[in-house]
Amino acid sequence: MNTINKNNSTHSQHNAVSGDHSAAIKERNTAIEVSNLQFWYTKESPPIIDIKAWQVSQGEHVFLSGPSGSGKSTLLNLLCGTLTPTQGDIALLAQPFSALSNRQRDKFRARNIGVVFQQFNLIPYLSVAQNINAAVYFASTNVSKTASDAKLRHLLDKLQLSSHVLHAKADALSIGQQQRVAIARALINDPQLLIVDEPTSALDTDARDSFMSLLKDVAGESTMIFVSHDKAMESYFDRHCSMSELSPSKNHIKTRGDEAPKAQERA
Amino acid sequence: MLSTIAIESLKRRKTTAILTLLSITISISLLLCVDIIRTQVKTSFTRTVSGVDLIVGAPSGQLNLLLSSVFNIGTPTKGIEFKSIAALQSNKQVSWLIPLSLGDTHRGFRVVGTTNSFFDHFKYGDMQSLEMAAGSAFTQPLSTVVGADIAKSLGYKVGDKIIISHGLGSVSFNNHDDHPFTISGIVKKTGTPVDKAVYVTLQGLEEAHTGSKHSPTSILGRKPADKAKEHEHEHEHEHDEHTKERAAYNSEAFTPESVSVVMLGLKHRVTALQLQYQINQSKKEPLMAILPGMALAELWQIMGNVESLLLGLSGLIVICALIGLATMLLATMRERYQEIAVLRTIGAGPFTLLLLIQIEAMLLTIVSAALSLGLVAGLMSALKPWLSSTYGLFLSSPLFGQSSIIIILLILGCTYLVSLFPAVAAYRRCLHAGLNAN
Repeated sequence: MNTINKNNSTHSQHNAVSGDHSAAIKERNTAIEVSNLQFWYTKESPPIIDIKAWQVSQGEHVFLSGPSGSGKSTLLNLLCGTLTPTQGDIALLAQPFSALSNRQRDKFRARNIGVVFQQFNLIPYLSVAQNINAAVYFASTNVSKTASDAKLRHLLDKLQLSSHVLHAKADALSIGQQQRVAIARALINDPQLLIVDEPTSALDTDARDSFMSLLKDVAGESTMIFVSHDKAMESYFDRHCSMSELSPSKNHIKTRGDEAPKAQERA
Repeated sequence: MLSTIAIESLKRRKTTAILTLLSITISISLLLCVDIIRTQVKTSFTRTVSGVDLIVGAPSGQLNLLLSSVFNIGTPTKGIEFKSIAALQSNKQVSWLIPLSLGDTHRGFRVVGTTNSFFDHFKYGDMQSLEMAAGSAFTQPLSTVVGADIAKSLGYKVGDKIIISHGLGSVSFNNHDDHPFTISGIVKKTGTPVDKAVYVTLQGLEEAHTGSKHSPTSILGRKPADKAKEHEHEHEHEHDEHTKERAAYNSEAFTPESVSVVMLGLKHRVTALQLQYQINQSKKEPLMAILPGMALAELWQIMGNVESLLLGLSGLIVICALIGLATMLLATMRERYQEIAVLRTIGAGPFTLLLLIQIEAMLLTIVSAALSLGLVAGLMSALKPWLSSTYGLFLSSPLFGQSSIIIILLILGCTYLVSLFPAVAAYRRCLHAGLNAN
């Protein structure tokens, strides 16, 4: 059921690192545990997601691939708690995540899950500092403002962002800067789980490699689920999971994934 | 943080936000203006007369008697005979009595025949006595005292002579030319109908009507005064002289055949109802006594319907503006779906987003209310002289009272309710907002 593809791409340096990392994480606790997970938007249609069992260890960096409409984004929404499973269970960091109340899930997500979107999705009218501090605010952690500011500056340093951008509006930044700010926002609360949804789809090869190096560097020991339909990316990760193997029963549904939220709203 | 997001969000949509802000500001200002005018008119209205315990006249109607005696509007149907006045005067419960004789005019202003007791006992506002801006009360039978508005609009000063006309028209062909009255005093501005009335002695009024000449010695108990000589006094001595003259002239000594209305002041106010009953039941002459406070309340009730209507219309305008606010927020929801999804993913719960939309609506209304308060205060301050000179409306402090606070609170409550529509839309959207926000 689990598909772990050892990297055999041209990125040999990443392979070596990933191999060591994979060996180390086998000893660790489970970060994500999915069992009998089913999700569908309408009862008439077959399930979008149908996963019997799937586990991701703490600190593991997983590459999740699949064609458009294969249910990648739906699975990420389920893991984030923005969608609730129709059947089955999701446990995150040893917590019965799918059994939590909406409020508890929101709080859990804010504190433990960092998300980097496909289009980085910064709130355009907020400054860089406000965008990142919003994540701190919603997490409601007891971190002092001084500590939070120090963490922010540390992250900016690591992401090679000048502190001058802090007061710039998000929509005034270049794409590269937006990428970095999105990563900073995802990591500001030290999440144990990092979900990255196709952030490199619009980047050329050089920019993609640069982005991946940066992401791997700052992600550290966080468990990471990285979604892309570009299989060439798998060399950066500990293992590769294909949606077609994870959720085989929905292979015949090709377009529902992208349309899913709209369909649910209509329902 | 939420308020920062709300403020930045509004700044992002500043054109629509400013237009909405203007719309709400104008509507709240309108409502506050109506409320202030209503409150001030009511205050002005109720302060027209105070300290008068009973008003007695011929049986007609409570309002008719009040309008004719206090507001100088209309005339009583019939007069009160002297014997009845004498009976009232001799009543042990009565402390003082002001006779009023109505029916004449001077260049469109009402002429009221009375005695000096009017200037001694009539009170307005919070028991404020009438004060003279210049001169004094009646100093001789053909004295007249004019209200502040008349003196200002007609340019009168103490010593000027005026002619009164028979009847109530502003233009009369029946002038009492042979009985010119000399202005002995000008009453300080009161903001009541007193400002627009000409007060003459009952004696002078009767002489003007009957054409007889008064015998000053018989009434005044002094030798005829040389009027020309009287007004040669220096200005600084004027008041003293008038006071002396007034002391010498006893306007109450004249006994008219009848008067239109009598105002009574009682020794003990608690006896007002008892005396009212006695007067109303009197079989000697059919009379009617009214309690001015009750009559004023009844009159205000009638006028109150109009102000309630105005207030209601203004309230509807505010509701329309608030619906406009909700529409603006709803219209921007589609462009905010991505933002909602992002906020949701970084940990904002549905209720947080509901709150965010409501904070935006509340911010707009609070700023509008603050702008309205400033605008109305400025407007009223600028219009104060015009309102007092044109409508006799004196704006008293504080301008914003309890009703203004209630109005603002109600508007905030309405804002909360109407903003629920876009807020619930955001909430519903939030429940389905996922990572693929684009």
